[in-house]
Amino acid sequence: MTEDSNTKVYGLLAEYDTTAKLVKACEKVRDAGYTKWDSYAPFPVHGIDPAMGIKPTKLPWLIFGAGITGTCVALLMQWWMNAYDYEYLISGKPLWSLPANVPVGFELTVLFSALTAIFGCLAINMLPSFHHPLNRIKKFARATDDRFFIAIEAADPKYNPTASQALLRDTDPLSLEVCEDDRHIGAAIPKPLLAAGLCFFVAGFIPLAVIGKARVSHMENTRIHPNPNMDFQQKFKSQSENSLYADGRSMRSKIPGTVAVGEAQLDDHFFRGIVDDQWAATLPKQVVINQSLLANGQKQFNIHCSACHGETGDGNGMVNRRALSTGQSAWVPPTSLHQGYLRTQPHGQIFNTITNGIRNMMGYGHSVAVNDRWAIVAYIRALQRSQYAKVADLKKDKQSKFQ
Amino acid sequence: MSAKHMPSTKGPEVQADDKLGKITLFSFGIGIVSLIASGAIGQSHNDQWANFLHSYLTNFSYFLSIALGALFFVTLQHLTRAGWSVTLRRQAELICNALPILALLFLPNIITTLMGNHELYAWTNHALAKTDHMLHLKEPYLNIPFFAGRCAFYFLFWVCLARYFNKKSLEQDESGEVLNTLQMEKVSAPGMVVLALTISFAAVDLVMTLEFHWFSTIIGVYYFAGCFMSCLACLILGSKYLQSQGKIGEFINVEHYHDLGKLLFGFVFFWGYIGFSQYMLIWYASMPEGTQWYIVRKTGEWNYMVWFLILGHFFIPYVGLISRHAKRRTRILACWAVWLLFFHWVDHYFMVMPTMSSHGHALAGEIPFSILDLTCFLGIGGMFVGTIGYAMRGKKLIPIQDPRLKEALSYENF
Repeated sequence: MTEDSNTKVYGLLAEYDTTAKLVKACEKVRDAGYTKWDSYAPFPVHGIDPAMGIKPTKLPWLIFGAGITGTCVALLMQWWMNAYDYEYLISGKPLWSLPANVPVGFELTVLFSALTAIFGCLAINMLPSFHHPLNRIKKFARATDDRFFIAIEAADPKYNPTASQALLRDTDPLSLEVCEDDRHIGAAIPKPLLAAGLCFFVAGFIPLAVIGKARVSHMENTRIHPNPNMDFQQKFKSQSENSLYADGRSMRSKIPGTVAVGEAQLDDHFFRGIVDDQWAATLPKQVVINQSLLANGQKQFNIHCSACHGETGDGNGMVNRRALSTGQSAWVPPTSLHQGYLRTQPHGQIFNTITNGIRNMMGYGHSVAVNDRWAIVAYIRALQRSQYAKVADLKKDKQSKFQ
Repeated sequence: MSAKHMPSTKGPEVQADDKLGKITLFSFGIGIVSLIASGAIGQSHNDQWANFLHSYLTNFSYFLSIALGALFFVTLQHLTRAGWSVTLRRQAELICNALPILALLFLPNIITTLMGNHELYAWTNHALAKTDHMLHLKEPYLNIPFFAGRCAFYFLFWVCLARYFNKKSLEQDESGEVLNTLQMEKVSAPGMVVLALTISFAAVDLVMTLEFHWFSTIIGVYYFAGCFMSCLACLILGSKYLQSQGKIGEFINVEHYHDLGKLLFGFVFFWGYIGFSQYMLIWYASMPEGTQWYIVRKTGEWNYMVWFLILGHFFIPYVGLISRHAKRRTRILACWAVWLLFFHWVDHYFMVMPTMSSHGHALAGEIPFSILDLTCFLGIGGMFVGTIGYAMRGKKLIPIQDPRLKEALSYENF
């Protein structure tokens, strides 16, 4: 460093060996009306705040504000994510419900407050400071060990070289010296530091750029497999190739001339709804109409059928309502089970429709047991009857009201 | 602030009066009259007995929680070898003296239950267990002999622990023996473990089993949060009162109040945190055995009480106590202490009383306020305060020979 011809003065530094002396000296400097000065000690000294006339810190207000901001940000974020931008129903709770939002609200309140406490404390104390003129004075290093110091800055409006020295000398310091100001205000930042800073700044945009690119483009390559063990397992999947067998398939076909257990479905009426090559007009003898059969039918209907046909069978189930609300142009609405031709259709044909499907409707033979399918048929009959009830179906005493 | 000088450890200001004070006699009088009145009102009418049992349990668990909070406070100070709190510890030790009378005051509940009354604890009804599968499964825990045995153990342990700390601490006033402090520290560690467990199980037995279908694994912590909070409020008010009587003047200063205030603030939040944790899990899972407890408490007028409690026990004192100024101005702090002791009572009312409607002793959605709430409060409260006053006679109000007394006196918040 080159020596500046007109050396500036940073201020005065007085050294003490006990906290009592330090506190007394601080009270004197405070009473003399100085504003730009500080005391230095290796540990927190009791009573130093009032001795220096330090006003209560504003930090709590910053933290309070940050905490409230955290709460609001958390609530807004959860509302936007769960209830607005991507409606996401969880456990049947309302899309935006306060109890579910409280934990995140709590966490963000704590996070915002804590970060504000740390960074606010640093900022208010003007830290980090990489250099301070006092650090050039050798004995000042003992401020972290066993000595106490007071420094009055030359920038203080009350500062006067002789008067200020006299004031500090009055406080009985071990030593008193003038400290030079070696800070070069406005000096250029070293080039390597500037370059490194610039690099970091530019590099900071890379993640943003990657995200931006991903949002507007499609990947041509397959994805990266960080753990191939999980993605490529040593096993044969149902439709895959297999060199072990002559026909090259993983799945084995049935052995000719055999019937698997439970697959001897010889009763056409029960298993296919057919009697004498006609759709059966009656229920098979295995199916007995009673309350529990209808209750089962209702349960199965509500599980498998109501999503499209609706719980009353009017063809306005949740899937239909969703399709209409989103304006699907090619949507074919589910059939209402109360249409005339369906009311007169034989039981067997309805059973067949459930088993094998019709038009857009898929078959449910693979997933709904035969008994349950017949229960559904019975329940559909009950549903149809409910919409076209006759006066004669009512109890005797109620009939008169409609005649 | 300059270094503090040591206040005189002799003289009248550290010593309680030797004879029974007016307040003590007055409290005993009020207590006995009110207890008799409560019993009489309870017996006056067929429906009144259930009301009496519930009101009585509300106020009993309220005052018990304060005493348990004090016992926890004493144990905690020894366990952590705390220095700042030495001047406050004697007050907490004196509050613990109410535990034997509370053990006696629990007898009406136990005896009524033993005599086959199911109005308070419906699970004691054997006929129910035959039809109620859940109760049947809980029978190994919920049966009258085990229940009575558990309660006896809780009170025995609490009384013994409180006695031990009291005895050793008072001995030290005379002898100045440091060994006493070391012994108390040794006992405090296992003591704390058993204390934590007994408080939790007592909360389960006293409060949770009122609705025996209900599960809440956090009820013990919830009860404890109130215990400690109410004890801190009592310590603030006790110190204020003693100082207004010209006692312990310089032994408890603004720094101690500030610390009590900080803990009070912390436990206001802790109570809210635990209360919400209990609510949120039950709300999310939405299981009938969990939700029924809240459904009863969110029906009709009780719903207003929920909000009254949330605002009064959590939000308003939280904002009120957040500032350093509120904690260092002892009058403001004392106001909050009174406020929180009131809402702590509301909290107990809210835990116990709705059970009346779920057992059909009151209409659903109607808060069954009655004169019994007041007489039971005065009855148990009178005995509680009277016993503490009685135990105080001639005792020193500060453990003046405690080896950490100096630390407490020079204690300062930054």
